[in-house]
Amino acid sequence: MADPACTAFAGKTPPRSWGRALLLTLPIALWSLFMSLRGLLQPDRSLQIASALTAAFLIALFFMMMKTSSTYRWRRWFFVALGVLFPIEFIHNVMVLRGSMGIPIEEMIAGRTPFCFLPIPLLILPAALTKTLVFPGSLLPGGGMAGAGMAAMAGLWLAITLVVGKGWCSYACFFGGIEEGMAALPKKAHWKKLDPRLRLVPWAVLLAMVLLSLALFEPAYCMWLCPFKAVSEYVAARNTVGMVQNGIFVVLFAALVIVLPLLTKKRTQCTFLCPFGAFQSIFNKTSVFDIKIDRTVCSPCVLCQKSCPTMSLTDESIKKGETLMSCMKCGACVDACPKGAAVWHIRGTQVAVKPERARLMFLYAAWAMAAMFGGTIITQDLATILQRVI
Amino acid sequence: MGGPFLVGEAFLLGLASGPACVASCGPVVVPSLLAEGAGWRLNARYLSSFLGTRFLGYLLFAAIAWELGVLVSPPPAVRTLIYGGIHVLLGVALLWYARSIGRGCAHACAASGLVSIGRVGKRGVPGAAILGLLTGVSLCPPFVAAGLRAAQLSNLAAALLFFAVFFVATTLWFVPFVGMGCVRRNASVIFVARTAMILVALYYLLAGVAMLAGRRIYG
Repeated sequence: MADPACTAFAGKTPPRSWGRALLLTLPIALWSLFMSLRGLLQPDRSLQIASALTAAFLIALFFMMMKTSSTYRWRRWFFVALGVLFPIEFIHNVMVLRGSMGIPIEEMIAGRTPFCFLPIPLLILPAALTKTLVFPGSLLPGGGMAGAGMAAMAGLWLAITLVVGKGWCSYACFFGGIEEGMAALPKKAHWKKLDPRLRLVPWAVLLAMVLLSLALFEPAYCMWLCPFKAVSEYVAARNTVGMVQNGIFVVLFAALVIVLPLLTKKRTQCTFLCPFGAFQSIFNKTSVFDIKIDRTVCSPCVLCQKSCPTMSLTDESIKKGETLMSCMKCGACVDACPKGAAVWHIRGTQVAVKPERARLMFLYAAWAMAAMFGGTIITQDLATILQRVI
Repeated sequence: MGGPFLVGEAFLLGLASGPACVASCGPVVVPSLLAEGAGWRLNARYLSSFLGTRFLGYLLFAAIAWELGVLVSPPPAVRTLIYGGIHVLLGVALLWYARSIGRGCAHACAASGLVSIGRVGKRGVPGAAILGLLTGVSLCPPFVAAGLRAAQLSNLAAALLFFAVFFVATTLWFVPFVGMGCVRRNASVIFVARTAMILVALYYLLAGVAMLAGRRIYG
């Protein structure tokens, strides 16, 4: 329960002054500029412009978060931009490299594929038991088209994940943006009653895919279920089975990333399929940041529940004053709550005591990660587009 | 070769192949075991049933391997057909199992505590037994290795003994699964296990049909 002496901090945080908002943005501005320095110093004019635009974009969004004390809508601009631009750049690259999105199985076996974080949970058991990576890429730098080794990527992922938990899915994932953009388009949801058990499907997918990956010695999710193969790279189909595999990718993408988000206003692929998301949920237990519902001021109007894009709030969880472990820390519930009952929180501290401070601390960590991963990707994407335009 | 050497060879081969056996059977064992009730006794009973029929499958395979001598390395087309058929059967059994979860408890078969598939009641067959038999006759790599060795032995008894000892050694790797009895079972866990089972079953069905149709899964 909140300390009565501190109730002034509970409720909605009022908008900040320009000066204070600028001051709070300063660390992220410096970080964003540092991240874009590499591009700014390149002789390529397109890359210079793209780097400057990306840095300005990231700084402006963070400034608006500080100014308005609202998180979700500004983060969404970044996230959708990342989600939309990533496939454009990726498809452009593979088309330039080999003229097709389909990668021949021989090239895949030779490890000429970029690293993707989605199969990380599928790699753990085979690696632990046989010291073998069942992903067609290199463990060391230089492997794959992206040039970065898996060890470096996985190490970065782990370090960040331990801090932000499932916040990864709202600030770093380059796949979730498309469906978040789709979910933002309709004014209201047409399908409102979704079976809450569907939330458990990602755990089932995770269990099945981890076991199949170990049995088949391959990243089973990438081979059979990943919807994002439809907008990135897939094994070139040479027979009926290959066509079936690619058909599964396209159907899942169309259903879970395009149609269902439009109908439900939810991130349906993240909520009902993604095994990486389920795996990432476990790290919400290690993260110091979470979202709490201050029961002393909650009505409850369930606006937080309706606004949550991943169905991570239920009647029971609201009664307990917390979110489910699938919470992606996107901030939608905090922004939606008219009474300021949904608050950012640091584990081990009192609920609703200086929640804005908890929000700031989380956002600094999450936005620094966003600038590092997403910012780099957006820069490359913009540079590619500019090279075509200029 | 003398008996002790044969036993030792079979045991070491089984022990070394155990992790591969666990990996191969994992997609079948783990979700179906999670879908059973909690408690290590019940889980031990499931594993006994599963491993018992898996042993039967092994012996059956050993007998055929010895009799034919060449079954473990038949022509690729025949091998693919056998693989495909077993995959399809396994897929169907898993789907049936998933459908049967929670159905048998209100009936007489609840006495056994294990999920029954087929006819509900006393005549229902524990799903674990069917899954064990099907995984027992599936041609996983360690199994093929044991089959090759069994086919070289001079008599049927020796081949059966070789497979029996091989089985005991691989079974040691399954003992930790009894610990899954400690996992609390609630509606969510059962739902996850059931859905995972359906996904695995769909994979086996698709792969099996592809193999029967003479299609390669990759490339």
